Amino acid sequence: MIKTKKIFLEEPELVAALQQRKKIGADALYEMYSASLMGIISRVIVDQEIAEDVLQEALVKIWNSIPQYDPTKGRLFTWMVNVARNLAIDKVRSKDYRNHSKNQDLENHVNSIDEQRNSVYKPEHIGLKDLIQKLRPEQQVIVDMIYFKGYTHVEVSEELEIPLGTVKTRLRMGIIELRNYFK
Amino acid sequence: MESVKTYIESGILELYVLGDLSAEERSDVEAMSKLHPEVKTELDEIEKVMSAVAENFATVPSNKVKEQFFNQLSFSDEDEGDVDETKAEAKVIPLNNSNLNFYKLSLAACVALLLVSVVAIVNLNNSLKDSKQQIAQLQTSNQSFANRVNYLDQKVTVSDEALNIFTNADFKMVKLNGTANSPESNILVAWNPKQQKVMIDMRSMKMPINDQDHQYQLWALVDGKPVDLGVFDAENKTAGLITMKAIGVAQAFAVTLEPRGGSVNPTMDKMMVMGATI
Repeated sequence: MIKTKKIFLEEPELVAALQQRKKIGADALYEMYSASLMGIISRVIVDQEIAEDVLQEALVKIWNSIPQYDPTKGRLFTWMVNVARNLAIDKVRSKDYRNHSKNQDLENHVNSIDEQRNSVYKPEHIGLKDLIQKLRPEQQVIVDMIYFKGYTHVEVSEELEIPLGTVKTRLRMGIIELRNYFK
Repeated sequence: MESVKTYIESGILELYVLGDLSAEERSDVEAMSKLHPEVKTELDEIEKVMSAVAENFATVPSNKVKEQFFNQLSFSDEDEGDVDETKAEAKVIPLNNSNLNFYKLSLAACVALLLVSVVAIVNLNNSLKDSKQQIAQLQTSNQSFANRVNYLDQKVTVSDEALNIFTNADFKMVKLNGTANSPESNILVAWNPKQQKVMIDMRSMKMPINDQDHQYQLWALVDGKPVDLGVFDAENKTAGLITMKAIGVAQAFAVTLEPRGGSVNPTMDKMMVMGATI
């Protein structure tokens, strides 16, 4: 994917621009993060149109909720990913979405299947797939459930009938594996 | 220190980054990260790897998202501009109006000009039609005048010619009178023995009209013998004087009715008129 980062602001500058509601803040937010956030949302929601709706919703929510962001508590991107991911998970769990999925006609179904297949050929998805496949299956399932399916670690523990401590440790081990991958 | 290590290894920092903690647990983590730099460093590391994961499958959304996103926002730096613009607009409107008035006036002027032009064109077209009609009439009357002039010219020429002959002393006027075959008939022959010229006056001629199969033939009697002087038709009355064959000596002239083209010898019982030259 071509990333068009025409505008780049350092995180403090971006936060300031967003908090002052300047246009350059919105431009930078979009240029720098829309593709990454879209990637996260697309992992949760296969249908591209719905994913884009959620992305738009997430961007607006980020714009409106920026006063609540506290730089001392973490990176801006982490905060934004959580906003986007939570919206996507809420969407997937909503009645609307389930109805939509049930009502998907054959054509859409083929499309979504194609998209899933195509994702194999997208370099970034190959990366992720390889990446997740590098994890041990027990780590893989927990990262997937918490990161992309929106389960809490308590829910995972109940669902998989694994002690809470084990869930946390496996998650940590999985993320350390990923860390090594990016080094 | 050992407790910090255990804290880090418990996996709570990962859950913090993934947003999977209660408010209480969150403030706990935040407190720990302020107290212990190792916790802070570990948190940064986890955030970095999760960012890298996210960027790893970045997908550029369609432009529709950007459009709709920016449509929903209002900016502080543009808001002020907007306010200024609303204020300026009050001033701008009259300018726009004067511009608009100018265009309105221009349009009105153009329409007026167009109407005047159309009227002028219609008028010009009408007078052009009139002129063309007048020209046609003039041409017609001119033609008829020319015809009349030609006709008169011909008449004058014929009359001139006749007058020349009648006033010429060398011409003898020989009147041929009707015979028993046609007592009412007569022909005037103008004869110039010097020039050996023989002419008959078609206008004064009184002869029954001949049919298509027959023609009148003029004869000269020279020492008792008939000499052919040519044939003519009785109906051609406009020709005036017509010239016949030449002869210098003749005691009399006569006209017989002969088959068309004439005969070698006259048919005596068809003699119509005759007159002596002496």
